Amino acid sequence: MRSSLVRQVLILLALALAPGVGEAVYFRHRISWQSAVLPSELVTVDQARTWGGNVIWVDARPDEEFASDHVPGALSLNEDQWNELLPQFLAVWSPGKKVAVYCSSLSCNASREVARRLRREAQLPDVFVLEGGWEAWLKKNR
Amino acid sequence: MLNAEVSAHGTTSNIKHRASNIFWRILGLIIAGIFIYAGAIKALDPVQFASDIDNYKILPWPISVALAFYLPWLEIFCGFALVVRWLYRGALSILTALILVFTLATIAAKVRGLDITCGCFGHASQNWSFPAHLATNVAILSALMALWFQSAAKRSATTAG
Repeated sequence: MRSSLVRQVLILLALALAPGVGEAVYFRHRISWQSAVLPSELVTVDQARTWGGNVIWVDARPDEEFASDHVPGALSLNEDQWNELLPQFLAVWSPGKKVAVYCSSLSCNASREVARRLRREAQLPDVFVLEGGWEAWLKKNR
Repeated sequence: MLNAEVSAHGTTSNIKHRASNIFWRILGLIIAGIFIYAGAIKALDPVQFASDIDNYKILPWPISVALAFYLPWLEIFCGFALVVRWLYRGALSILTALILVFTLATIAAKVRGLDITCGCFGHASQNWSFPAHLATNVAILSALMALWFQSAAKRSATTAG
């Protein structure tokens, strides 16, 4: 009885493998296995600086962290208050502007999520995640 | 007279047995539907699901990506196995293990203070609160356990008969 159960489990585990591999091949250009953000969607502090006034800095950290300090001129846009803050961001955005989203550090996910939602829901091009986040910006600027 | 009583008793028992069978079948189909739906939603957007797994901060990113491609299909196949009753116990075992892992990961994330979306039903579940998420998982787990015990009881009855 137990061996039949193990066999059933193994068959199901194996069956799911084929479409999973197929999907991995199909989505190979849309997701990176090395990093949560595609290299083409990342921007360093130095690169973003070269954009000068053509960049909108977006702070994806919680309100209290934004209030305590942020990149000069940055707009707050986090997932907790997405609906309230998005119109303020869109009022500032214009075609041709690049968007650099940051959260606390390299390991935080908020900037990635906000950048993804800006691309998908607001259909904005040129949305980038700041490599190293706020910590990287501080290191370069203080 | 005695024959009539035995026959009536047999008919009542038959009706009860059929009603019980229908109940378990419907419960199995509901659970199958939940997993097929949840799997399909995630299979359509594995990039988002990888991100949802990564939010739990338990696994390295490459493992999250691999699971994002694999787990939705496992849920779908197990759901279909419940529908067609082929590899039935194997599917119940896998789904029980999956829901246990999901529940433990959710509790661990809460304990660690992570404010995350579960990703269980794609973005449809992004606004679920922790209690709602936990209650859903416990309900599904209970149903799976009930199906498992019913299947075991049926098997032992068949073997004994």
